[in-house]
Amino acid sequence: MTTAQQPQTPPDGSAPGQATGPARPAPPRTGIASAVGARLAAMLLGAASIAWTATPLVHKGAAQFALTIAIIAVVAGALRLAFTDIPQPEDRYFLPGYLQAWLMFLGLLRTVPWEEVAVVALLWLEIQHPARPWHTAALGAGLLAYLLTTHIAESGAEALPLLRGHVKPLIAGACLLALAAGFAMIPTTSPGAGSAILRVLAAVAVIAAAALVLPG
Amino acid sequence: MTIPSPGGPAGGDQASAVASLGASSQVQADQARISWRPSRHARRLLTLAVAALLFALVTRNPALAGVAGPPLLLLGMARVNGNGRPERLGIRVGLTATRMYEGEPAAVDVSVADDQHTARWSFEPGRGIDPGSAVAVNGPAARFTFEIPRWGKRAVGTVTLSLHDRWRLTEGRVTFTLPAVDCYPSPAVQRTEVVLARLPNRLGEHRARVPGDGTEFNGIREFVPGDRQRAINWPASTRRGRLQVNTFAAERSQDVVLLVDATTDVGTPGESALDLGLRGAAGAARAYLNGRDRVGVITYQWGGVRWLAPSLGRRQLYRIIDVLLNADTGYARGAVFSRLPRAALPPGALVVALSPLLDGRFVEALRDMRERGFALIVVDVLNTQPPVRRGFADVAARRVWQMEQQAIRFSLRELGVPVVPWDGVAPLDIPLAPYTRRPLVTRR
Repeated sequence: MTTAQQPQTPPDGSAPGQATGPARPAPPRTGIASAVGARLAAMLLGAASIAWTATPLVHKGAAQFALTIAIIAVVAGALRLAFTDIPQPEDRYFLPGYLQAWLMFLGLLRTVPWEEVAVVALLWLEIQHPARPWHTAALGAGLLAYLLTTHIAESGAEALPLLRGHVKPLIAGACLLALAAGFAMIPTTSPGAGSAILRVLAAVAVIAAAALVLPG
Repeated sequence: MTIPSPGGPAGGDQASAVASLGASSQVQADQARISWRPSRHARRLLTLAVAALLFALVTRNPALAGVAGPPLLLLGMARVNGNGRPERLGIRVGLTATRMYEGEPAAVDVSVADDQHTARWSFEPGRGIDPGSAVAVNGPAARFTFEIPRWGKRAVGTVTLSLHDRWRLTEGRVTFTLPAVDCYPSPAVQRTEVVLARLPNRLGEHRARVPGDGTEFNGIREFVPGDRQRAINWPASTRRGRLQVNTFAAERSQDVVLLVDATTDVGTPGESALDLGLRGAAGAARAYLNGRDRVGVITYQWGGVRWLAPSLGRRQLYRIIDVLLNADTGYARGAVFSRLPRAALPPGALVVALSPLLDGRFVEALRDMRERGFALIVVDVLNTQPPVRRGFADVAARRVWQMEQQAIRFSLRELGVPVVPWDGVAPLDIPLAPYTRRPLVTRR
């Protein structure tokens, strides 16, 4: 699918929706390089998140399974972004077998929510390791960046205005990540399961409070 | 719709044609109901947050709870600021043309009266519609150009509007189905006309053999009382010693009936026999109507015969093309032209048949028409042959088929019906040239 940016106001200067004159033909998007750049960035961030989470390698069945799932999901997500522009033909009944297989593969890429699968698999992989608070916080930042970049790549939205609108919650989110990592590093005064759950609940409470207080 | 210049509408600079499409006429405008829902991005953020919180509780790791913080903040702020989502929005959808010729560019204009959200338009072209521009555009107004490569009634497709909030976490969506448009066959080029030797007594632009009140010099005769003095030919009067007056040829019009054989559609789509027949008929209709002749059309097709009585004027051209557009390919149930009313097939009319001559009953109907005294010209639009194969039976069958076709054409010529082949590329004037140079004399 080809994408293009359109001026925010109709060319005749009238209010949007009241345009009676011919609208200007849509100019092409800033360049194919921008779309390719966002897709490449999403793929690299996904790969970096995998590498960050997988090291050091854990030789357990669940960890290896999670790693495999994460790799498959990130690669499939990258392929989905790369093949976004390929249209689906109207009639596929009379196509040769290899083309039908290709279209089925494209359909699979576009149907499964690969990014969600990758995120869950990476978090699962992370918990296979011993607790490492700052490492987990960095993974959280990486995953958020991966999702944002994927969104920019697939929506064709301009990256800078979108990120500018996200600045405040992102800064607050980074503070929360640091706070949660700090919570995790405080040594427990009284050992036991109850104190650990209390620390988690405290972190959740801080997040909820921040979400409620932070202005839009 | 613009009438394409001779040479077809496909010629010329496509970009300039798109730029000169002009304003669109509104086909749809209303307060559309928008359905809002979380975007794909929001669902991903929610997955991240829920998974992180779940794993945090299971593993009692506060650092994982912190991972849920940023996505939850984003989702929460989008929720808090999402109160300004309108339920209805004013949307205008316009088409530059609802009737067009093959290959002629047209455009869909869309706009929404909303500056609070980021709008994205996507155009899903219908079957047989070729998009000429980007099919997804960001902004409150957009223009999607398209063209239709082959004649017919076509559904243009759908246009979908997606609205996003500033966080792009909530999206509103509404889809419009665009109306169907009529794509007319691109008329063939024809500048000259076949004119009958015997024209009906009706004022027109063709020079008749009988004297009349036209402008073309016919001869000289002796002055008789009642003649106009301005018609006196003084040099001839001086030479002969008696008053001589100029006489002029009468100017008459003729009835032309275009007979389109839609029973068989052989050949590549876009260049098939039916395509050529319809394009030829449209070109001939335009040429004869420009010559002030009365033109009608008969289509021989599935379900019998459809006809339009001969008439004059530009409006008649569109009526004829509308009849052609409804041509339905298929096995004709043996329609007989003798049952047609006199209005559809006036006596003494020139009949121009466009046919691949593959249906035996159509050929019989032509013979019957010729025996009834109509002046006929057949434009042979068959531009394909059975495939060449090496087998003896295939070669023999192909040869038999070719001989049969030659025999059909020979028998028509023997009856005094000219059969001229036309490939659909050259102007119709070229195959018709032997019959446009002088009036067509028909033996009865």
